[in-house]
Amino acid sequence: MEKSTIEITMISYLVGELDPTEKAEFEQFLKDHPEHASEFESLKDAWKQMDEVVIKEPSEQMDDRFFEMLHSEIRREKTTPNRLVKGLSAFWDFLWRPQPAYAILLVGIGLGMGYFLHMNKSMDQTKTVVVADGETEQVREQLVLTLLEQPSANKRLQGVNEVNKIEKVDKKVIEALLQTLNNDANVNVRLAAIEALVNYVENPLVRQGLIQAIVHQESPIVQITLADLMVALQEKKSIEPFKTLMRTKELNSSVKQKLENSIEQII
Amino acid sequence: MHSLTDNALMLQVKSGDLDKLGLLYERHKKRLFGFFYNMNGNTSLSEDLVQNVFVRMLKYKHTFTGDGSFTAWMFKTARNVSYDHFKKDKVAKNRTEVSTMEYKLEDGHDIEKTITDKEEKTILERALQMLAPEKREILVLSKLKGMKFGEIAQILECSEGNAKVRAHRALKDLRAVFLQLDNK
Repeated sequence: MEKSTIEITMISYLVGELDPTEKAEFEQFLKDHPEHASEFESLKDAWKQMDEVVIKEPSEQMDDRFFEMLHSEIRREKTTPNRLVKGLSAFWDFLWRPQPAYAILLVGIGLGMGYFLHMNKSMDQTKTVVVADGETEQVREQLVLTLLEQPSANKRLQGVNEVNKIEKVDKKVIEALLQTLNNDANVNVRLAAIEALVNYVENPLVRQGLIQAIVHQESPIVQITLADLMVALQEKKSIEPFKTLMRTKELNSSVKQKLENSIEQII
Repeated sequence: MHSLTDNALMLQVKSGDLDKLGLLYERHKKRLFGFFYNMNGNTSLSEDLVQNVFVRMLKYKHTFTGDGSFTAWMFKTARNVSYDHFKKDKVAKNRTEVSTMEYKLEDGHDIEKTITDKEEKTILERALQMLAPEKREILVLSKLKGMKFGEIAQILECSEGNAKVRAHRALKDLRAVFLQLDNK
């Protein structure tokens, strides 16, 4: 028998866990092995002696303290049903304290008003934009026409610049611009009118007006600008007006040269 | 023997019926006290530690599954309570005085002196206190009323055979110390 098995069996014997057969077998083993028998006897004595170890009784104070602890724990458990409820109730209490309640109320009112105002606004917004766009175009056209009639060159120049802000110009504005190009006393205003009309060269009325304007120009800078524009547009109808202009005695020689070159380029 | 087993009672405690812990306390207080008292020889400390075991059982009631033996679970808790107490006590003592290699009790007296002071202590009790704590522990546990080696093995987290081997060696050492003291 192995050493550990002997040790285990000795303890099993002492605690009474061996059945009669095992017990008999072990007693026989001890008879056959006296060295183990003596060891077992000393262990048996020690085991018996262990029973004599004084086991004190705990005091009554221990009971008092235990039940005091237990009851306070039970009370605590009852007053705090569970963490979720506790958390919600704490949050609810917090909400009903004056400052947070007022703050939340005010924020709510603010959000509500904002929402309704925004809702009304957004419903009207599309209409407003459409209407406003239409109105703005009309006002701007009116403004252009008014400004172009002003005696001040600055005002007329401002009027021409206003045209660039109009998306779709109508006949009235084009006629006003062509009239400015033909009749305005100020060169800068006439040049600005050409620049404004360039945006609408696809419009036959504009092309026609520009071609017809050639013969009416006296300013070399305007004549050259128109010549460059006609070359760029490759407008063949402009050749005849340029030729008419070239026949004018007062025409600047540089301009004459320029017009000749331009006619050649167009052809 | 009991209309309700320890495990059933502890499961009720776990589900919120804390009153049932009172029943478990009544059933086990003496064994727990006996365990602590034989381990440290100090009455008031042992009562404190019993209290701590039940406080800890309440705190960690959610860890009780009911699968194993309640007694094993309770004594595991008791061992932890005892271990934590002496660990804390050791740290505290190290801060205040030069530590010695001798095993110390919580009141600062070495075991031998304490035991000599108490005349009612038998030689065997002195011998028991002079054993290494883990040897004393297994002997104390095996001598507790109704404690089986199967449960001791669960408490010590070892095999039953291993627990018996340990008990055998502890008992042998106890005998040797006893004889030594008896011959003085």
